[in-house]
Amino acid sequence: METPTLKPPRLLARLAQAAALCLGLAIGPAALAQDVVRIGAPLALTGGLADEGKKQEVAYDMWLKRVNAAGGIAVGNRKLRVELIKYDYQSDEKRAQQIAERLITQDKVDFLTSPFGSGHTKVVAGVAERYGVPVMASVASSESVFNQGYQYLFGTLAPNGGIVQNMAAMFPKQITGLKRIAILGREDVFPRAMAAEMKKAAEAVGLEVVYSDFYPVGTLDHASALSRIKAAAPQWIYITGYTQDLILARKQMADIKLTAPVVTMITGPAYREFVDGLGKLAEGVTSASWWHHSLTYKSDDVFGSTEAFYKEFVAREKKDPDYVHASAAAALVALQKAIERAGTLDRAKVRDALARLDILTFYGPIRFGANGMNGGRDLPIVQVRDGKVVPLFPEAIKAGTLVPMPAQ
Amino acid sequence: MIYFQVLVNGLTLGALYACLAVGFSLVWGVLNVINMLHGSLIILGGYLTFFAWLNWKVHPLLALLPVAALTFLLGWVIQATMINRLVRQPVLTTLTVTFGLDLILYNAMNVVFEATPRRVTLDLGTLLLGEVVVAWDRIVAFALALGLTLLLYGVMRTSRAGRAIVAVRMDRDAAELMGIRIDRVYAMTFAIGAALAGACGALLAMVFPITTNLSGLLLGKAFVVCVIGGLGTVPGALAGGIALGLIESFAGHWFGPQNAVLIGFLLMLVLLMTRPTGLLGRRGYE
Repeated sequence: METPTLKPPRLLARLAQAAALCLGLAIGPAALAQDVVRIGAPLALTGGLADEGKKQEVAYDMWLKRVNAAGGIAVGNRKLRVELIKYDYQSDEKRAQQIAERLITQDKVDFLTSPFGSGHTKVVAGVAERYGVPVMASVASSESVFNQGYQYLFGTLAPNGGIVQNMAAMFPKQITGLKRIAILGREDVFPRAMAAEMKKAAEAVGLEVVYSDFYPVGTLDHASALSRIKAAAPQWIYITGYTQDLILARKQMADIKLTAPVVTMITGPAYREFVDGLGKLAEGVTSASWWHHSLTYKSDDVFGSTEAFYKEFVAREKKDPDYVHASAAAALVALQKAIERAGTLDRAKVRDALARLDILTFYGPIRFGANGMNGGRDLPIVQVRDGKVVPLFPEAIKAGTLVPMPAQ
Repeated sequence: MIYFQVLVNGLTLGALYACLAVGFSLVWGVLNVINMLHGSLIILGGYLTFFAWLNWKVHPLLALLPVAALTFLLGWVIQATMINRLVRQPVLTTLTVTFGLDLILYNAMNVVFEATPRRVTLDLGTLLLGEVVVAWDRIVAFALALGLTLLLYGVMRTSRAGRAIVAVRMDRDAAELMGIRIDRVYAMTFAIGAALAGACGALLAMVFPITTNLSGLLLGKAFVVCVIGGLGTVPGALAGGIALGLIESFAGHWFGPQNAVLIGFLLMLVLLMTRPTGLLGRRGYE
């Protein structure tokens, strides 16, 4: 009868030993004076969002090179180099979650960035919140991501609503007889929200919504929806979706000879590949965006100005940057500023510094609201003219006024 | 009048679906291999066509044959070197192999071409029939789907290779005993399937923005078309494609675009329960 009495204490002792070991391991690296800032980046480098994921990667890299060339981030009286730890989460939501966990628990990153899109941002932000790690979201704009009460999530895009309200107020004044609008949206977090926002905004300014419907993810044909829109004879056609949906929709509009004085696609023309994939058909299409390279901000961040960012990007990538590139770089600029102001890598203190941040960057002003989203401002409205994206709004960067779509 | 437009929309969409599925159906029917590579092969065809147009200004319709020849070769190599070793294994084994190959091809294309949607911006214009409008590229797709199906049908009926394929499909062991070189017939069939995928991709490059993201979707459509149309007959893919196109077009018109795809799948389920061979399928291939 000896063993049963002895076993529990022994077991406890073992457990205590193991716990001490674990704690020791966990405390070990943190206790050492840190000489790098580690930032974790789950990126969609393969799979459905590969294109967008690569854009984030390029922008992060541009920021990283500039920061490290300047000796790193100033933390207190020291300069710490930055190490970016990237993983490909293959556009798979579950994997994004696992990788966020791994970055925090195994790679011991100080801060996180979130992947592309509102859906995946929400997942990564949930993990970061649990561990109290500040997470910078560069490409999430749906309020449903930011209304979860997360304290550690900060997004550089402005809320969806702002993007369409200016448009709904402006277009009917500039095109006479603009009274009827047709809205077609992709059944997906961001595009759905943008379609719903436009319906609200259009009704608020007294436009008649003659068609409003959604198409599912994976639609290979818009002909039936477009035929109905044609029958409803709107003066404004507003379609949301991702670039491949919008290229197909615009092509099929031409196929059935559907047009209107104003055709808006969110966020089609904000991407270079939209114009490239449509050629002449892109002409006259309007859109709104969070950023445009013709903006003229001057700043004291690593880039210095919108122009400097633009030039470096074009020299490196041989094409124009879009808002994804700019927002991704701006997210890290904001993080850098917050770390410098906090003067420490302590996550909670950096979080507080982020919440208080009010800065002007190459990307534009960044001031996070109570929900962590960048405050609304005058987001650019653009139109495709002669294959180039021309800003129509705000006044500061205006390079033309709205012209009706060319007849086909 | 709008119904006539919806009908035309459905027919032209159906022709594209038929194009997607005809090669897939052949491989499934003859080899009993569910070729998960099919979607990516179509996308590869699309990319080859796009870059031929971008760099050398080759019209997609001219590029169609060379592209089909290239994917034919690729298909032959894949079948001869890999799938033939496993073709006698249960269908799940070959499915896993083609799935793995698909992952490789898909990600290789992601690395080489990037996933940026690209389209040949060559508009062939539209044909006006009263108030009904049809795009010429869709008409070409329709003609091509019909042409490919007829050609395949003819080849299967009259040529030596075609008869060998049909014989293998009917009874592999008997065909082998008759002196047909099974491995070669398999490689040929798979290669023809790949060539049809390549040709379809060339056509798609004019109509759709080509991106690797589409490959899974295209494969899914090919699947549904085969289930509706039935396996084991060449015209099955055509019938299935047109049926699915019409269903989605009318469902989209009446119940809104978000329900069109759903209704297509529901009808597929009903068909599976009531007529598992599909519209034109033969018994023994369900």
